Amino acid sequence: MIKIDPHAWDTMVAHAEAKYPNECCGAMLGSIGIGRIDDGQKLVSQAVPIENAYAGAQGARYELRPEDLLEADRRARAAGLDLIGIFHSHPDCDAYFSKTDLENSCPWYSFVVLSVKGGKFDHAASFLPNPDQTAAEKEELIWPKS
Amino acid sequence: MAKVLIPTPLRQFAGKSDSVQADGSTVGEVLSSLTSQFPDLRKQLFNDEGKMRSFVNVYLNDEDIRYLQKDSTPVGSGDTVSIVPSIAGGAVAEKGVAEQTGHAAAPPVSLSKDEILRYSRHLIMPEVGMEGQMKLKNAKILLVGTGGLGAPLGLYLSAAGIGRIGLVDFDVVDFTNLQRQVIHGTKDVGRKKLDSAAESMHDINPNVEIDLYDLALTSENALEICAKYDIIIDGTDNFPTRYLVNDACVLLKKPNVYGSIFRFEGQASVFAFPGGPCYRCLYPEPPPPGLVPSCAEGGVLGILPGLIGIVQATEAVKLILGNGEPLVGRLLLYDALAMRFRELKLRRNPECPVCGDHPTITQLIDYQQFCGVNIQDEPPAAGSKESEIEPQEVKHKLEHGDRFLLLDVREPHEYLICNIPGAKLIPLGELPKRVNELDTAIDIVVHCKSGMRSAKACDFLRQAGFKKVRNMRGGILAWSDKVDPSVPKY
Repeated sequence: MIKIDPHAWDTMVAHAEAKYPNECCGAMLGSIGIGRIDDGQKLVSQAVPIENAYAGAQGARYELRPEDLLEADRRARAAGLDLIGIFHSHPDCDAYFSKTDLENSCPWYSFVVLSVKGGKFDHAASFLPNPDQTAAEKEELIWPKS
Repeated sequence: MAKVLIPTPLRQFAGKSDSVQADGSTVGEVLSSLTSQFPDLRKQLFNDEGKMRSFVNVYLNDEDIRYLQKDSTPVGSGDTVSIVPSIAGGAVAEKGVAEQTGHAAAPPVSLSKDEILRYSRHLIMPEVGMEGQMKLKNAKILLVGTGGLGAPLGLYLSAAGIGRIGLVDFDVVDFTNLQRQVIHGTKDVGRKKLDSAAESMHDINPNVEIDLYDLALTSENALEICAKYDIIIDGTDNFPTRYLVNDACVLLKKPNVYGSIFRFEGQASVFAFPGGPCYRCLYPEPPPPGLVPSCAEGGVLGILPGLIGIVQATEAVKLILGNGEPLVGRLLLYDALAMRFRELKLRRNPECPVCGDHPTITQLIDYQQFCGVNIQDEPPAAGSKESEIEPQEVKHKLEHGDRFLLLDVREPHEYLICNIPGAKLIPLGELPKRVNELDTAIDIVVHCKSGMRSAKACDFLRQAGFKKVRNMRGGILAWSDKVDPSVPKY
């Protein structure tokens, strides 16, 4: 289960809506519960918008520069947080995990997809790709007011 | 030798460390020494052919090794090797070309400025900090009861910044509550406890979301309500609810933070915690009805629930933070008169019917029946019309000078609060040895505070051979309501 704090969520939605009709992307920082009641539960407390580095049209593609991801990871470590997920948007398209998403994913993080329709956030889903990038399991996603 | 930073999801394969020192003079050697230290990590980074997985990038300090000398890139002891995945994707449908305008936005904060100020005394402690405060904000606690224990719980948990608190209560504030239920004030008498409690909590901390359940927790609704919360705190004063909350927590695998109070003594523990005991391991069966008096019958030092409620609140906050040693497998006993804390060790009972190895209770049962409370609902246990008498009729008999004995079986300190003139006082506990003071020939009317103890006294007297015994229905409280309003109620 991955849960997104309201402030982080506002950042993600604002970034996705601002980049519409292009895809946006970013990193999610937070913690994975090791407490007694939240073991394994992911809690996103900060969202970091990252520049979409895809060289072509960005209406349906995104790419994260590894350097930017490394920077996000450093920022997380400095704040005592962990890099636990990646988010990106699907403009005028449902929040599913596309073939392109799967083939360019990695199995270590939660992948949250935000569907933005007509410039407004519509719905979201989270996915956990397998190590061979052949399938992605849907993960329970909790965002504010969901 | 270099330091390798381990991404969060891979730490489980690297001895839970966020960084590891690995030997080697090149990046390739460092990685191979890392993966021989942690063989499980190898599968994450390399495929079956031993080739690095397509999404894995390796950085030496700030440089991608692909642009240096790849695996042969030399490393020194001050160097840091990072493992960074490459990630891309996109929706399938192609869209029109749009200009790339990306830039990194200002880092968002996880608590508002006001909240940071409000919780600053938490935030400056590393045991809480931003992370802990966020955990508190994301936590959901159900408080069963907003009375003596619920009052300090509601106030302190709101102040501490718990994100969502559910309150269960169907009662109304009355004057006898104010001696200990500090979440309610004199102005609240007659209001629903839920409304009064929620108002106080919101006044302390408007950030808390409060769910109100204007009902009694029952076998029908308990699972549904408890399932919405992370921790259940039992602040009730009756056995059926105590067993109900315990069983619901065991079935839902949620911690039950227990507290109870009586006169000058209190208890607290954390039940239904994984591996720990539950309330039934401690008390497999409820006491016979009437044996353990409630606070309404036995009284309670007003300050006592404050202390026990705060022990419960402390345990709830510790569970959320994942810090410290929880009160699991330990029953804390507090004696206010001696001002002494003691601890009893508790073990999970493998034979426990609900949390044992072979549970026989797998769903909620009828707890009123289990605790034998149904029979007790009507105060006169041996209640039949002939064995009871209304207060008005007693007044009539007194005014008419009828020959009968009015017997008060309350305690002397209660008699001093108020009494019915002419009544003879023999406390229930002294009745057996003082029964010879009574005359079997004359009518006897027995009363107490509300009719419970006098019913027991009537039973005893009948068994002792007294035939003409009647119980005054509703006790001196009913006398105050129906006969003489100048008699104070307590």
